[in-house]
Amino acid sequence: MRLLVIEDDATLRESLAAKLGENGFAVEQAADGKEGLYYALEYPIDLAIVDLGLPEMSGLDIIRKVREEGRTYPILILTARDRWEDKVDGLDAGADDYVVKPFHVEEVTARVNALLRRSGGWASSLMTAGPVTLDMSRQELSVNDSIIDLTSFEYKIIEYLMVRAGQVISKTELTERLYDQDFERDSNVIEVFIGRLRKKMDPDNSIKPIETLRGRGYRFALERGQSG
Amino acid sequence: MSSLSARLLISVSVLLMFFFGVTIVVLDTAFRSAGEQAQEDILDGHLMALLAAAEVSDAGTLEMPSDLHESRFSNIGSGLYAEMRDEQGNIVWRSRSALSIEMPFGGQPQSGIRLFQNEELADGTPLLTLSLAVQWEIADGEFRPFVFKVAESLDSFNAQIAQFRRQLFGWFGAVALIMLLSISVLLRRMLRPLRQIENEIGEIEQGKRESLSGRFPTELTGVARNMNLLIDSERARSDRYRVTLDNLAHSLKTPLAAMRALLTHGDSAKFSERYNEQINRMDEIVRYQLRKPAASSADNLLLKLVPVKQEVDRLVDGLRKVYHDKNPTIETQVAAGMRFRGDSGDFLEIAGNLLDNACKWCQQRVRMTIHPPKGSRSGDGGMQLVVSDDGPGIPADATDALLQRGTRLDESTPGHGIGLAVVKEIAESYGGQLVISQSDLGGAEFCVTIPST
Repeated sequence: MRLLVIEDDATLRESLAAKLGENGFAVEQAADGKEGLYYALEYPIDLAIVDLGLPEMSGLDIIRKVREEGRTYPILILTARDRWEDKVDGLDAGADDYVVKPFHVEEVTARVNALLRRSGGWASSLMTAGPVTLDMSRQELSVNDSIIDLTSFEYKIIEYLMVRAGQVISKTELTERLYDQDFERDSNVIEVFIGRLRKKMDPDNSIKPIETLRGRGYRFALERGQSG
Repeated sequence: MSSLSARLLISVSVLLMFFFGVTIVVLDTAFRSAGEQAQEDILDGHLMALLAAAEVSDAGTLEMPSDLHESRFSNIGSGLYAEMRDEQGNIVWRSRSALSIEMPFGGQPQSGIRLFQNEELADGTPLLTLSLAVQWEIADGEFRPFVFKVAESLDSFNAQIAQFRRQLFGWFGAVALIMLLSISVLLRRMLRPLRQIENEIGEIEQGKRESLSGRFPTELTGVARNMNLLIDSERARSDRYRVTLDNLAHSLKTPLAAMRALLTHGDSAKFSERYNEQINRMDEIVRYQLRKPAASSADNLLLKLVPVKQEVDRLVDGLRKVYHDKNPTIETQVAAGMRFRGDSGDFLEIAGNLLDNACKWCQQRVRMTIHPPKGSRSGDGGMQLVVSDDGPGIPADATDALLQRGTRLDESTPGHGIGLAVVKEIAESYGGQLVISQSDLGGAEFCVTIPST
């Protein structure tokens, strides 16, 4: 999944981006409000993390503009302002959650995971569909309660598909959202990874978690569990 | 126009010009028409005298005696003229004064009716003329028509009028000038208290004075009193900020010292944990100091009426997003027309902290009711805000400790109860209180009561 981090403090932005990268996200970074708004509107983004006090353009204005332009992806606010007045203003402008500075980076990744799950329509932190369970906070996929050993890119793909369980996802969308910006793009690679994923999750081809729709893309096909 | 006195002087001048103008026109018209009436009466008298003096001669014509009753008829250029014409318009007789001039012929009167006319001599001298046509009995039963005409030069009359006008303008001008002068002197005297206020405020700015002296006319005492209140509350506010800043700076020094100590003899295994502890402590300190009340009930003049329902709706919408996963049932009841007199940030701080805590601790249900305190109405500015939940609740013996936390921050353990301490402090700064009890939903109930002022 592709995240956007708009934060003017370089140390904070870079360490946050590094941590999110470790957690399997592709991360765009913007250091001021104008640049941030450009990324927020022009790039394929799954979630934006916006600092409220930014040079050039305030975080609140960015959020309002993004919502005005019809983007519905989740927005997480970072704020140094702790009063409820400021939190309410941010949520009212269209943000979905807030983290108050100084925060632990783990706190941010947890909120990000929760928001992404929520945006895919999952209510609980463990996403369960049939025998398959995905734990975003631990980045673990298990089938029939045994953990599957995945490479980070394989995990990114299954996470993306599973968060949007039931939706058809094109190969282009997958390459756009999963690769880092300057990676060589080749959609055949996706097919290879999907094949490996199928083999690892479903060696005897009995549960068929990923469906191929010819010419359109892939779909995570299992019914969401009770909690979903 | 920014000056009060300029405004007043200009308005008064316009009014004076209007009233004096009307008065001048009325007086002038009255004087003139009275003068004209007198003039006509005099002419009529001369005409009657002429008629009485006229006699029928033996030749059957009308004749005038050579010496008339009025000597001006005999003096050339006297300004009073007379003539008599027959029915063909030929001059039968003219007074000696009229010998050298040609009287205008003018309009001809009907028989027996006096005709007054304003006419002019050939040289432009204005005349008032009176013509009368009569049938004169020359012989028994034989009547012949004659037209008598007397004329008086209006030169002296016009001179009189002009003189009158000069006097009129002169006097009124003088009176208007005197009035304007006295009004501007009065104004200076009346506006002196305003200037005094201005000077005293200047002295306050320079630090020479604490507050306005209060020796002002009745109309200004209210302004002066409110000004003093404003100054006092501004001063109290800046004192509060100074104290807050002071506390903040001092309380941050302890964790800073601890961190420096850690850097010098840090035990590497526990270093990051202990370092984090100090950071948390500093965060708590900053958080607490920044969330202190923005206003207090002493700031009377600076407070606004916060529309409670609107703010509550915004807050609840926000919290629904934040607690999307838990999805508690948040029930709100706000009395119609509810207004809170204070800072909207302070209101959100009270409601936000209590509602956030309730959402955090509840099983499923959260309820917030806001209504006016007992004995006052919903627009009066006071409020009673009750938040209850169905969570585990708070044991009675723990409530005091909970509320104490944060108030002596240097000595407290970080991590708990900042929100409640903030709520309590805001409530108290508005002269209210926070009470914790058991809710009928099963959990804790927090009740903030702020009296109407």
